[in-house]
Formats: sequence, structure tokens, C-alpha cells
Amino acid sequence: MTTEVLPGLAESPAAGAEGAAAPERIVVVIDDDHAMRLSCRQILVRMGFAVETFDNGAAGLEGVGRLKPPLVIVDLKMPGLSGLEVIGRVHELDPETVIIVITGYATISTAVDAMKSGAYDFLPKPFSPDELRLMVGRGMERRRLQQESRRFQLERELLRHKFVTFVSHQLKAPLVAIQQYLDVLRRLGDAPEAAEHRAEWLDRCLKRAEDMQTLIHDWLTLAQVEGGALARRREPLDVAALLLPVPDTYQPVAAAAQLTLTCELPVEPLPIVGDASALSVLLDNLITNAIRYNRPHGSIRVSASRCAGEVCIAVEDTGRGIPEECLPFLFDEFFRVGPAEGETTRPSGTGLGLPICRRIAAEMGGTIEVRSVPGQGSTFTVRLPAGGATSSHPGVPNEPQGSDHR
Amino acid sequence: MQDSARQVLIIDDDEDFRASVGSLLEAEGYAVHMAASGQDGLALARAIHPDLIILDIMMESSTEGYVVNQALRFCEQFEGCHDTPVIMVSSIESSPDELYPRSEEVAMIRPTVYLTKPLDFARFLETVQRLAPRGARV
Repeated sequence: MTTEVLPGLAESPAAGAEGAAAPERIVVVIDDDHAMRLSCRQILVRMGFAVETFDNGAAGLEGVGRLKPPLVIVDLKMPGLSGLEVIGRVHELDPETVIIVITGYATISTAVDAMKSGAYDFLPKPFSPDELRLMVGRGMERRRLQQESRRFQLERELLRHKFVTFVSHQLKAPLVAIQQYLDVLRRLGDAPEAAEHRAEWLDRCLKRAEDMQTLIHDWLTLAQVEGGALARRREPLDVAALLLPVPDTYQPVAAAAQLTLTCELPVEPLPIVGDASALSVLLDNLITNAIRYNRPHGSIRVSASRCAGEVCIAVEDTGRGIPEECLPFLFDEFFRVGPAEGETTRPSGTGLGLPICRRIAAEMGGTIEVRSVPGQGSTFTVRLPAGGATSSHPGVPNEPQGSDHR
Repeated sequence: MQDSARQVLIIDDDEDFRASVGSLLEAEGYAVHMAASGQDGLALARAIHPDLIILDIMMESSTEGYVVNQALRFCEQFEGCHDTPVIMVSSIESSPDELYPRSEEVAMIRPTVYLTKPLDFARFLETVQRLAPRGARV
């Protein structure tokens, strides 16, 4: 941007600016008093600003529109367009322009009006060079902060937008697949291209519809945890008792995938305070993952123990492991580890299971972490604060016990 | 056929999208090639010099299609594909022109045509026919 000015409107081209000045270093001064314009220019140029001066409101506004300065100094009392009007119009152009008002002592009350209409501050005449420097410095700082916070806002907005786009893509993908299969089947009728594939495509439609169901289910679960509807109960639980049915529940699924499942529990109870149904959602996700991402003839080991004021639940698999570069993103919504080396597809999954686990663990005051050796397997460990009375009925939350309950 | 079949390359990570669109195009007399990632797609494009490319946007990364398109247009090693028409497809409702309002940004990634998923097959086939006209089927 050049700082060339219209002939006759300014005393001289912007000082310190042979050709161009960065827009953020331009100050516009609008004052009908020739001496005031000169002295402002002198002081501000020494501060390193490119300065443009104008002797009336209309010309000043034209200059502001063209130069887009971060800061404008305007005399309140001028013939023609008044300072107050100039303030309003400058802010119409850019509401973040910092405006400093110059005023005689006789017009202090007008200066207050000026502040009300959006001026940043006012300088009563006469003022010293130091006073001007101080105020312009503060004004520029204010401008900087304003812009920074707007930049943060924009970045947040952008992130949110990216997330929404991504979610809608994930939700639409199965429907796109189904719709297009059905449309192709309808269009091709009895053409050989369709006849050949009809049965296979219908199976794929069903599969993608199931995926969609799972995705919606997981999405709702995550929303429930976030909204506090799941993992809300705070009851004394015994983790050892909760884990007792694990082999019966998961052995058949594991066996079908040619996997061995073992569960190691201590004899003594492992008391925590939390939500039994949320904890079983968490466990279900971890064990299902361990089955899904295992290798044929591999194994899954579920264990629980008490360690230093915490109850630890570990789910260990002998699967492909997780590449180190993926670990930082593993618990992010929709993140999925890509297909393993030499594979083109990966097991189906929503990318929401681990985020759900992390949320549930956090809701109960705990953490979840993963250790993984690529090619050997992964271990997910949930740590929950130990505490509360142990349940006398395994797996069933304790009822308050009359007078014993405080 | 008047000439050998026109070659269409589909680059999309969704196997079901590839299967349905691929069969549709085969039924229309096109020779169809498929790739499941941007990287494989670029390698294939370089090898076969297709007459038309159908390119998904969100694959491994959420902007993969843009990157592939840019490489096809401007990278030296894809010289043979600089002018190959590209139909970019995605379930994102806004076209690259709307998403990237700055002209120099959109110039880098603008496809020949942008269509949203699920494809309106009538419009899709009309576009394919226009960009890669095939000889009458026998």
C-alpha cells in the first residue's frame, strides 16, 4: 500500500515512507489547526509511524478509508464534519480502529460524549509530546490485543468448522454407499454388470447400514458421557466383582476369532466409587478392541489389581500394536490407525470407542493410558482412585446402610 | 466401438463408492481403474494417463483430494496429466470455490467439475460424457 496523499489535502507525503508503509504503522491525524498537525506529525514520525494529516473531517475520512490505519487522532471541534461524526464514520469502516480525540478544555464534556461514542481516549490541549506518545503507545497496544483475540477466535472457529465438516463426512459416508448401490441397481436393471454383483451389493448395503447404527450408537454414548447422563452415578463398586463375568461374556466371541481370553483377578475386593454401567461400557470397548485388532491364535489378558491408592484395570492384546506416531491421537474423536503394513483394509470401527473410554475414566476421576509395541501388542490401563466401602453383593452397587451411612 | 474404450480412474478410499460408480461406468462402456488412496491414484494416473479422473477429497487426510489435484495440475512428474479433466467428489456441500474464497488459493485446487455425494447419476453421466466423450457402443 502506498501512502501517497491527495494534493492539497496534506502538507507533505507521509514522512518516513518512501513508497509504502506497513498498514499497522500508519497514523492518521485530522485537525483543522495547522500547528497541531505539524507537531503531531513530528512526534509520531519519531516514534516510527508513517503519518498522514488532513485539515477537515471529510478529507480525513477519505484518507482513513484508503489507508486503513490502526489509529486515528481527531480534533473534536472542526468546521464542517464534526469530530463526533468522524468517530462514528471511522468505526463504520472498521470498528477496531483506535480513535484518540483532541479537545480544548472548554469542550471536556464533549470529550466524554466522544468516549461514549467509541473513542478510545482523549487528550486535552495543550498536551506535551510525552502525553501524546504515551497515549498513542497505549492505543496501539490496545489495537494489538484486540486483533490477537480476534485471531484466536478465528482459529477456534476454523477448528470447529473443520470438525463439523469431518463429522458430517463420517456420518454421510455409509448412506452415500447405500444410496449409490441402490441407485445403480435400479439404473442397470438386468444388465450383466448388475446381475453379477446384485447379491454382493445388497450384503454391502446391509453392512454399511449396520456401521451406521454402530456409529450413531457410539456417537450417542459419547454425547451421554459428555452431557453427564452416563457415568453420573457415584456408588461404591467392587471392580473385581464387576470383572468376574468377563470370561463368560467374551470367551465365545474370542473363540470365534481363534483367540484365547484370560482374566486375572485378586481374591480381595477392589473398591472404587463410580458408575457400574459406564465402567462396563468402558470395558466392553477395550475388550472388543483387543479382540478386533488381534492376530489369529493370539490372546487377550484382562486383569485388575490395586496399586498405590488406585485400582488398575489392564487389557492386554497380542495384536499388531500401534505405531508410535499414532499414540498422541489415539484418544481423539474419529482418529483411526491406518491399515497395517501389507493390508489394504482395516477392521471396521467408528473411531469413537477410545474417546468414550477416556471420557468415562475421566468422569470417574481416573485416567487411561496405552503402552504398545508394534508387531507385539498393546496394553490399555485404566486407573481409578480406590475408595469407598466394598460391596457385599458382587457387581451390585451398595445401598446406603442406615445409620452407618454418613 | 469406434475407438478403444476411454480410461477412467476412480480415486476414493470408500470401496463401496468405487464399486458402484465403477460398475456404472463399465456399463456405459468405459474402462475403469481404481485406487484407494491419493498416493496409489497418482501412481496409476502416471502409468495409464487416463482420459478422466474421479477424485474424492477426504481420504486418509481431510484435504487429500486437493493435494492430488494440485500435483496432477502442476507437478512435473505428472506432465501427461496436466490437462486431464478431474471430477472432484465429496459429501462436503460447499465447492472448493466457496470454501477457499481467495482466488489464488482456489486456483491451486480447482477441479474441472465439483459434484457432491451421493452422486446424482444422471448429472454425473452427462458430465462424464461431456469431459470424456466415448464412441457409440456397438
